[in-house]
Amino acid sequence: MRLLRRALVALSLAGVVAGALRLRGRGGTPPQHGGWQPVEFPPEQ
Amino acid sequence: MTTTAGSAVSVVGGGVVAERLRRVTANRHQLVGGDVGAGVVVLAMAGPHAATAADLVRAGAHVVSTSGSVEDVRDLLDLDDTARGTGATLVVGAAVSPGLSGLLARELVGRLAGCDELHISRHGTAGPACAREHHHALRGWAMGWRDGGWVERPAGSGRELCWFPEPVGARDCYRGELSDPMLLHRSFPQVERITARVSATRRDWFTARLPMLSPPHREGGIGALRVEARGWDSDGARVTHIVGIAELIGTAAAAVAAAFVDHVTSGTAPAGVVTTSDADLPTAFLLSAVARGGVRMQSFTGIPHTG
Repeated sequence: MRLLRRALVALSLAGVVAGALRLRGRGGTPPQHGGWQPVEFPPEQ
Repeated sequence: MTTTAGSAVSVVGGGVVAERLRRVTANRHQLVGGDVGAGVVVLAMAGPHAATAADLVRAGAHVVSTSGSVEDVRDLLDLDDTARGTGATLVVGAAVSPGLSGLLARELVGRLAGCDELHISRHGTAGPACAREHHHALRGWAMGWRDGGWVERPAGSGRELCWFPEPVGARDCYRGELSDPMLLHRSFPQVERITARVSATRRDWFTARLPMLSPPHREGGIGALRVEARGWDSDGARVTHIVGIAELIGTAAAAVAAAFVDHVTSGTAPAGVVTTSDADLPTAFLLSAVARGGVRMQSFTGIPHTG
């Protein structure tokens, strides 16, 4: 019973930490420039 | 460039590339079953192509070969005089790597005032024969051109993380026994460094010297190609251009071969051996034909950033 209680407490704490990181974390704006861009080769003739 | 309508084309082979190529060329050319009566024969079967190609060019037929094996490509290049003698065109390495790699290298080198390095990386395979070739490429010796001479290093060495267009992304690539350096050096003798790498998982790398542990898939997943040209611009500043694709390798190989079939049937291709990086090819036209075949080419425009 004590083991189950400890597991539930650990899971709850993990959830709280994950939730805080998810809501308060600073992920920033996704990249908007650079990377791979489509390129076209207009025929010469 | 105008394409001769109704040119008789034969596609030899029963694999992924051959099947797809038949579908692509069927609406533009008259497909014939055997190679008898065909003006253009595309060799897309497993195994060496040189012996068959020799017989065909002696008979005066134009040949497009998709072979990428080093020995086979070397033997095909040796058929130049034979092909010139009969007025036949022999396109060597009309697949992805070699093939599209050469077209893209020619395009990128044209954007530079001078080029001193060319680096090719590829990921993935088409059908089972291609997978066996990939397995073979990780053993043996990898050719590379460096400072005026050929350097042979053990295939499977020289791990480098190469970034391909999404969804392939970053892959570990190793030196491989690939024919790209040989073909690119033929077209760009002034370039000081030419390398070719192939992607591999740790398991591929570890088991390269063993027989294939499991039969290859009928077709590999999304593959990729990356061509990097380094050099300088007209002001002397160092410049690097990178172009790549992420596509089913069988589809891309069929698109490249089909573009060369169109080119050969147009009647403008010279007699003798033609490789995809040749300077006198209509490279932009061929690349746009490859794009029409469903291959989306992408340019690397720098490390992604915000703002």
